[in-house]
Amino acid sequence: MAQKQKYKWHSWATPWILLFPTLVGLFVFRLIPIVSSFVLSFSDWNLIRDPVFNGFQNYRELFSDPDFWKIFGNTLKITLGYVAGSMVFGLLLALLVNNKIKGMNFFRAAIYMPVITSSVAVGIVWLRILGPKYGIVDFILKKIGVTAPYWLQDTNLALWTVTFVQVWKMAGYYMILFLAGLQSINKDVLEASVVDGATPVQRLFRVTLPMLSPTTFFVFTVAIMDAFKNFELIYAMTKGGPQNATNTLVYSVYVNAFSYFRVGYAETIAWVLMAVVGGLTIVNFYVKKYWAQPLD
Amino acid sequence: MKKLFVILIIALVAFSAFATGEKEASSEQITLEWWTWDATMADTNNAIIAAYEAEHPNVKINNTIITTDGGAYATQLAIMAQQKNLPDVFTISSGNLEDWAEIGYLRDLDDLIAKDKNIFNMFYKGMFDAVKEVAKTDYYCAIPFAYVSCDLFYNKDMFDAAGLEYPNENWTWDDFLKAAKALTIDKNGDGEIDQWGYYGYGRYAEVQAWVIANNGTLINDKMRFAPDAKALEAFHFFTDLVIKYEVAPMPKDMSAMKYNNLFPNEVCAMFVDGGWQVNDFRTKIGDKFRWGVTRVPNGPSATETWTFGWPDSYVLSPTTKYPDQAWDFAKYVAGAGISADQVMGGKLSAYKAIVESPEFVDMTQQPYGDMELFREHANDKFVTTYTKSWSEWVGYGASETMGLNGAIDSILNKEATFDEAMAKAKDGINKILSRVYP
Repeated sequence: MAQKQKYKWHSWATPWILLFPTLVGLFVFRLIPIVSSFVLSFSDWNLIRDPVFNGFQNYRELFSDPDFWKIFGNTLKITLGYVAGSMVFGLLLALLVNNKIKGMNFFRAAIYMPVITSSVAVGIVWLRILGPKYGIVDFILKKIGVTAPYWLQDTNLALWTVTFVQVWKMAGYYMILFLAGLQSINKDVLEASVVDGATPVQRLFRVTLPMLSPTTFFVFTVAIMDAFKNFELIYAMTKGGPQNATNTLVYSVYVNAFSYFRVGYAETIAWVLMAVVGGLTIVNFYVKKYWAQPLD
Repeated sequence: MKKLFVILIIALVAFSAFATGEKEASSEQITLEWWTWDATMADTNNAIIAAYEAEHPNVKINNTIITTDGGAYATQLAIMAQQKNLPDVFTISSGNLEDWAEIGYLRDLDDLIAKDKNIFNMFYKGMFDAVKEVAKTDYYCAIPFAYVSCDLFYNKDMFDAAGLEYPNENWTWDDFLKAAKALTIDKNGDGEIDQWGYYGYGRYAEVQAWVIANNGTLINDKMRFAPDAKALEAFHFFTDLVIKYEVAPMPKDMSAMKYNNLFPNEVCAMFVDGGWQVNDFRTKIGDKFRWGVTRVPNGPSATETWTFGWPDSYVLSPTTKYPDQAWDFAKYVAGAGISADQVMGGKLSAYKAIVESPEFVDMTQQPYGDMELFREHANDKFVTTYTKSWSEWVGYGASETMGLNGAIDSILNKEATFDEAMAKAKDGINKILSRVYP
């Protein structure tokens, strides 16, 4: 009688069997939607009828629309403001809380609280705080004889106000990242710099920041990707107004897909957004070798 | 004998099978899916379902309520339509009727109406015809359950304090302006207005109410945005309330408060919005102050009384397995089986008996006798502005700062002149309309 070949757990098939559920998930929930999205960006689709292929018409319409360039510009401005603001404030906060003082954990938790608070709730609260006539900021400034500007209603100011709120909300997250980086710096190097007579400022710029560069690179990369996730705040605070002043690519994707039911056109905007984020990330990784190296 | 016995047995078996089949047909349990969007009506819906199921033991109704916030309701419905799995009976926005009818997602109701000889004795035929007009079909595609009008709300206590007569249906725009001026007050002399005569938040329910009250039109026969002289006159009047006469604040000054909270918080004496605010104001205002509702005054160029409004309707899925039962339930919930207190305050029911019942004018809560206005609306000429891509060119929901609304905002907030804003709006809106009406 022939012997049955026993299954060997170290056969070539084992890893694939174990990976199979993850691969199915990645395929169904990531790859298929990405490919579908790209295909749909070349179609006219309003959700209720079948998509109709229309070639490059969506892309032509998008790039010839003056509003698109304004929205694109807004997106770049908000990215610049958010990345710079998050990194600077995140680092400052991390330097502040990087002390072994009693009660410091309370402050770390308090600073982190906005990160885990719903963006819509944050937006609504800041809308009330910054509201003209009835907002707290307006009230306080009036008491000291200052006329508050229209923080969210002035076309020149609204975008920066939304950026500020977004930085305020997420600074705690970057604080945690920087804090982890600060606490991984070799203490001996810092002590040696003290012995050598370095001032605190010199220590910060000549020792701490260079040794923090891998963390800074990571924060920079994450902040760029995060900068584009501003839909909830804009929806809660300004709805893209006034006069498209706070309209961004992400918000425009939503409005076109779920208000106008121009899903194909929304996909086109989404792929432009993908190209921008992807491009910035690739550039970031390329220039990394020039500045993000730990000291030996 | 044996042959007779066999015949008897066969007959008995056949009879039993027939009897069983008949019993199964009459006791077949069916479930109807009913989708709506108003969460405030959840309790009312449950009461309606309980009453219907008690009268129809073999029918179970599943009510799904999905909010319209963020376009959730329309999106979910569109996905169901794509999957050919629409609910049996569902509410649909008038703004979507034309698109949906064009694709064939609204069941033709002519055959069901033809079988129902009493339908236009029970319901207002005018509302059925209005739905056809909005959907641009030559067949009935929806059963209206209410008409929504846009009207003028006013604070009676403020009018009394100023010694003014209440607004009435004979008011002109001059009367309105005189009252608004008298009701715009700096109470403490600090140079800031504490009470405004009017608040205009610049959205469709308010702006277009003024246009229609002046018999203006916004969309021409070629389906292009081309406000006529009467419409432009209305736009000028409405925006001048803020810019020239200063009886209404700039919307950006009031942005810390939700637009429909200014009237309940006594910041303004008058406010134009949809009749649904009756329900909202009853809850928010309570007995804090006395308030009333009347028509938006006819404009100087109006030759007839037009009311800006639209039908709320139920439609049947074209693929429903139970068209007769779905039609029966749709009629029931549209009015045939409900009472006046189950109709949202401020909406005109499509069911005659409800409107004609004494309970329709609820004298136990505000605005008391002013509710007669909604009964009078039953004989009005209603005018809507719905087209394909309406929410895109008007600016609605997540896009409320864009489109026509955005243009009006820029005028009211003194960021653009009237001509600049309207020219820009016309270009943008016609780009949209020429895409959907080539």
